[in-house]
Amino acid sequence: MDNADNPKPQRSRAAKWTRRGFIGAGVLTGGALLIGVGVRPGNPVGKLGPIVANGEGEQLINSWLKIDANNVATAIVPHCEMGQGAHSALAQMLADELDADWSMVRVMQAPADGNYIVTDTARLFVAPGTVDAPDWLEPTWNGLFTNIGRLADAMITGGSSSVRSTGQHTMRIAGAAARHMLVAAAAKSWGVPASEITTANSMLSHAASGKSAPYAEFAAAAAEQDMPQTPPLKQPKAYRLMGTDAPRLDIPSKVDGSASFGIDAVVPDQQLSYAAVRRVPVPGTRVTSMKAEQAEGMPGVLQILNMGDFIAVVADGYWQAQQALNLITAEYSEPESTIRTSDDQYARFTAALDEAGDDGGDKAASNGDAVEAFGSAATKVEVEYRAPYLAHSPLEPMNATVWVRDGKCDVWTSTQVPLMARTAAAKATGLSTDDVTIHHPLLGGGFGRRLETDYVTMAARIGAATGYPVKMIWSREEDTQKGLFRCADISRFKGGLDQNGKLVAYNNVFTQRHDPPGSFDCAFYDIPNKSIRVAEAELLLPFASLRSVDHGQQGFFIESFIDEAAGAAGKDPVEFRLGMLGQSPRHKAVLEKVAAMADWGNTPEGHGKGVALVESFGTIVAEVVEVDMTSGSPRLVTVWCAADPGFAVNPDGFRNQMEGGIVYGLTAALYGEISLKDGAVEQSNFHDYKMLRMNECPAIAVEIINGDHVTLGGAGEPGLPPVAPALANAIFAATGKRLREMPFAKQFA
Amino acid sequence: MHKYTLARPLVLTLALALAACGSDPEPPVEQIVVREPGAPVAAPSEAATSDGAAADPAAAGKAAFAACAACHSIEPGGASGVGPNLAGVVGRKAGTLAGFAYSDAMKGSGITWSEAELDAFIANPAAKVPGTSMAAGAVSDEAKRAAIIAYLTGITG
Repeated sequence: MDNADNPKPQRSRAAKWTRRGFIGAGVLTGGALLIGVGVRPGNPVGKLGPIVANGEGEQLINSWLKIDANNVATAIVPHCEMGQGAHSALAQMLADELDADWSMVRVMQAPADGNYIVTDTARLFVAPGTVDAPDWLEPTWNGLFTNIGRLADAMITGGSSSVRSTGQHTMRIAGAAARHMLVAAAAKSWGVPASEITTANSMLSHAASGKSAPYAEFAAAAAEQDMPQTPPLKQPKAYRLMGTDAPRLDIPSKVDGSASFGIDAVVPDQQLSYAAVRRVPVPGTRVTSMKAEQAEGMPGVLQILNMGDFIAVVADGYWQAQQALNLITAEYSEPESTIRTSDDQYARFTAALDEAGDDGGDKAASNGDAVEAFGSAATKVEVEYRAPYLAHSPLEPMNATVWVRDGKCDVWTSTQVPLMARTAAAKATGLSTDDVTIHHPLLGGGFGRRLETDYVTMAARIGAATGYPVKMIWSREEDTQKGLFRCADISRFKGGLDQNGKLVAYNNVFTQRHDPPGSFDCAFYDIPNKSIRVAEAELLLPFASLRSVDHGQQGFFIESFIDEAAGAAGKDPVEFRLGMLGQSPRHKAVLEKVAAMADWGNTPEGHGKGVALVESFGTIVAEVVEVDMTSGSPRLVTVWCAADPGFAVNPDGFRNQMEGGIVYGLTAALYGEISLKDGAVEQSNFHDYKMLRMNECPAIAVEIINGDHVTLGGAGEPGLPPVAPALANAIFAATGKRLREMPFAKQFA
Repeated sequence: MHKYTLARPLVLTLALALAACGSDPEPPVEQIVVREPGAPVAAPSEAATSDGAAADPAAAGKAAFAACAACHSIEPGGASGVGPNLAGVVGRKAGTLAGFAYSDAMKGSGITWSEAELDAFIANPAAKVPGTSMAAGAVSDEAKRAAIIAYLTGITG
């Protein structure tokens, strides 16, 4: 890498952080180099070394990188891989700064160990918008977050944060620091100035003397060099791998079937038994009696457990366990909540919203006087939208394999929160976290469901009861009905337009606020009088973040309302939005881009085009949906997507994530609905909780704008929020029918 | 440079810390140990063996139906699952149970479920009603089919 164009480090959080950070290296007697970057003092060498680098005599300090004798560089990544490509993208960021040959780069899942907490993610989750603390406070601030991270088991994959936090602020520094040390070691050995040594493709070269060597040759010596605390990071024009479609490292194993997921777990040298489980049908109730005589006589059955909040059958095989479980009948206690049906749930929201009125509830955001401005508006738009509960439905159902014995517990499971899983297993078994080991392989889908540890707790309780290794697997029905859910909600708007059709009053109230902060707002629009409020109301079903979290329903509410306001103003939906984006040039550019992609303004007979613009997880996304309504019900034709994530580290991966978010969002828009009857979930499997099918999938075109290479946005979630409102707006454009409730398909049955 | 708010992170810290805690160890309310893994099966279950079938066809049917119960309820008046409720299916016109989303193929099959029609369908659903949603659950064993149908005949809707 040529640093001449980059004399001093860019002002990024990365550079600031490591100034107070702690970077260590250790010599590996096996010829491998381990580089560590952390943000705290301490020496976890003895503990981590044997876990992440298995050679004899290896030394390690907070490690994110190892280089072995074959010149293979392995990035040790603290985030999990659930199909989103984080493993590969983070390795790509490290490898670029290292000047590594991509074909010689591997990735390793960091173990579930407190030393691998992702402090940067903890910041993002706990105090977004506070990351630019002044320099003088940074050490304290940093320390605070490290402590928070440890306390909260902050080894989290979520919030579309892996690349923009850990990638940008840890992996790149690890790569750059290692490169610096390799150069220093070679300079000393060759007796030449370090500034004359160049690096490329995992090789060191000195042009004047003609000397060159693979990194591996100087790995051990490099580990003894001084560790730079603020290694210069590349400017975009020096990127070799970032910004390219470097082939993903996890694809081959997924093609040839060798990839291992949580449900594939085996316990070495042990016979595995299987548990099928049935949770109480209504959240919060208990099993009051159980009839299991028939199940006891079924083939393969080992144990039947009434755990109070669930029933489990342990058998030689999973099928046997599930068959026996199907024969067990039970009685349950009366639920505490009086919510029994979806209508009851919506009535709860309506009551809270009525009580809040025009000015009640918690103020979430406000400027100007929305009530006064609405009162004097020339044109008024009063509308209400609703969204139902949703289930995550990952392809791999909830499962965990547990072996509790001799004061130890091992857990094999797919999780987005390995340290929280460890804590959950410890609590469930009465052991200390030091006695619990989490093995967390690839995830067969997460979508936020695996940010929860309820299923780990259940498996650990079963394992504690049996004392032998058990793999607990939820049936699809159990997974659809008994887990945690995206909340339902109702949102009300009172909008006012002035004589010129400008939106001057925006008064909004809804009942559910979870994450991320600010997801209820559209601050990029210039609206002079705004009041956004939360009127809290009870949810019957327990909540879990679902891909894009509150942006999922809020995107639908807000961008449907904006479209209705445009209609009331008699303006084109794109033009109306552009008129409010005077202070938001990046949003404007994204919207103009998608309008151009979609040939906005030209629509075939019987079709409709709708647009929506949402910023979420730091990424600005505008989408246009074209829908064909000639048959009377919606047929998806094309989705155009323009996105500005700051900088797309792997454009192909980024486009994949936009496409995935769009398809997941279209599933929710057309079909997604978890409804309640007798306090329980009515849907049970994919026949009544439908996914978008291949033959229904529209053509999808994605274009990327790289608008800010320092502060990056996420990829996993931002593609989702605009698609439901864009589809509703397209259906309106085609038919004049305004959809104010999700899902849409049943409204055309 | 943003203003930072100390109150918010601290409050959320607590929330995160609490979220990280599970419940205290909660042992089973009831624990029925049938046998240990690897231990020999003590005695074959009556209902599940062919001997049992000879002795008690209804019990054999009930046992054989366990494979069907994953999708089909037989509780009279009970909700349908992945498949329709089968209480009273014998003698019913195919594709007519209210509230169940049948395939068009099933709705248009014109079948009325006699014992013979059921036997042919369960033997190979996709051959009997091409386009049926019943993608799994074919029973190749003739005796088992007979037992299942006998069992279903006894359950009226």
